[in-house]
Amino acid sequence: MSAFRLQQLKGQLIPETKIPTMAGSPSPLTTHVLNTAMGVPGSNMTIRLYQQDLSTNVWTLITTGTTNDDGRCPGLITKQQFKPAVYKMHFETAQYWERMGETSFYPYVEIVFTITNPDQKYHIPLLVSRFSYSTYRGS
Amino acid sequence: MMTAESSPLSTHVYNTCDGVPGAKMDLSLHRLDSKLMIWTMISIGTTNEKGCCHGLISQEAFTPGMYKLRFETGSYWESLGQTSFYPYVEVVFTVRELSQRFHLPLLMSRFSYSTYRS
Repeated sequence: MSAFRLQQLKGQLIPETKIPTMAGSPSPLTTHVLNTAMGVPGSNMTIRLYQQDLSTNVWTLITTGTTNDDGRCPGLITKQQFKPAVYKMHFETAQYWERMGETSFYPYVEIVFTITNPDQKYHIPLLVSRFSYSTYRGS
Repeated sequence: MMTAESSPLSTHVYNTCDGVPGAKMDLSLHRLDSKLMIWTMISIGTTNEKGCCHGLISQEAFTPGMYKLRFETGSYWESLGQTSFYPYVEVVFTVRELSQRFHLPLLMSRFSYSTYRS
């Protein structure tokens, strides 16, 4: 395939950050996994997003996804699903390290957070190594 | 009474918002029953004025397995008249080698936190 043809095809691809969710708009909740031990995106990590029922406290699975080459996972939730509630993002960190032949102190990482204003955008990154992790609320 | 030196597991909470120890924070230690796949509470504690909490488990009880330290961060910030993005923080970790001691600090603000194994 010629370089010119490749350039044409590239121009027709939608950037991953703009891929819409089922409802037609980007997810109001995003994440980004960074492997701080190696200085690379945390790609191919399985992530699950849960929403807690306000009255029963039962967790409901909203989405299961896998981070892409950039360590991101678009389409976590639709605007319609994203209501005020407590959410939990579960990262399969040990599985990620095992695939690279390494052990990890953390079998998984769960970040529990409260959404009071679903009209805002929320970015929940995870910076992870085998023996440490950090997160913050971004937008 | 278990001393800091004899406790195989300890933690230290630091309030990075205000640059002070995370004092008087309630926390609990849990162990996963690997057969039943349910969490069992081992102990509860509260950080002291330095943000430290020792004596969560004895050397004899500290067997290999999966553990969870739960920090009541939401309650902590409420006691300071503040809200927090995180209602609580749970750090789940695996213990394989008992000859070592484990120190799991939590550095936290209202909108971020980090932890590491030392």
